[in-house]
Amino acid sequence: MSSRKIKVYRDLMGENAKWAAQTRDLIKEKDITMINIIGSPGCGKTTLLESLGSGAGSAMRFAVLEGDVETTRDAERLAALNVSVSQLLTGGACHLEAKLVHHALKDLSLDKLDFVFVENVGNLVCPAEFDIGETAKVAVLSVTEGEDKPLKYPLLFREAGSALVTKTDLLPHLDFDIESCIGFMRRVNADISIIKISATSGEGIDEWIKWLLQLRN
Amino acid sequence: MHEFSICEGLLDAVLSEMKRVRPPARRLLKTRVVVGAMRQIVPDSLIFAYQSLTKGTAAEGSSLDIVPAPVSAKCRQCGWQGKGGHPSFQCGQCKSYDLDIEGGTELYLESLEVEQDE
Repeated sequence: MSSRKIKVYRDLMGENAKWAAQTRDLIKEKDITMINIIGSPGCGKTTLLESLGSGAGSAMRFAVLEGDVETTRDAERLAALNVSVSQLLTGGACHLEAKLVHHALKDLSLDKLDFVFVENVGNLVCPAEFDIGETAKVAVLSVTEGEDKPLKYPLLFREAGSALVTKTDLLPHLDFDIESCIGFMRRVNADISIIKISATSGEGIDEWIKWLLQLRN
Repeated sequence: MHEFSICEGLLDAVLSEMKRVRPPARRLLKTRVVVGAMRQIVPDSLIFAYQSLTKGTAAEGSSLDIVPAPVSAKCRQCGWQGKGGHPSFQCGQCKSYDLDIEGGTELYLESLEVEQDE
């Protein structure tokens, strides 16, 4: 008996990658810009989407796919503002995967949309690993978290096209060193667009919308 | 994380490759995977998942060999190319953080080592 080595070179995320590729084809065909919003629980993802739904985003035709482990509470918040929203419940998974997102996308009226925002499950770790076929990832980090989170969660900040530093209205009450945080983000990703943002004060919202719109040029 | 779900994908790939081996293998000795340093995967968890999932399959008894791929980058300021332990590492020459990350996110089944009749 002898042993023999067989070279294979097969991607282990292949199944997810197949669905992500189908989504990329679909959004290209329908001219949709899909944004994968990723951040810790409570960092302000849903609140930012509420800002878009309350008027700031009136120039954009958009829908939201809302990912959570349990409850439809986030979808209800957005539906109350007449945002077109579907709730995706993972029932336990800590991230969204491409297959679930693809099926949910197909249920939207894509011909009437320019943007689909996917609010991923609150988590800085796992969502960054799973390509859902998005145009861009946006990393969300609030000033009530630590400045060094970009170094602790480098994959997300590496993958993201933009980072939103949220809740800046709270800065006078905190010791948060925002410039250090921005510096750490740039260390991990020299190209990332960084926007200081507050849904409460309105700071940065227009800048973020401008960034989103330029993705479509 | 998600070593079990990654291993399910790995096992599908291993078993389908084994079916294609000609002449057919007597048994699988070793599966080799490459895992980039930026992938959030714990090697011991991956090995444990592999041992659990291969029970009762044609891959039972084989070992999982994990080859780490370091983060590698090219400096956009001075052109230096090199490897490092953390994705925010500095250029080894000019100390800039302005790097193009080239390697470190790999996650693939590289090869199988099988036992065959002479």
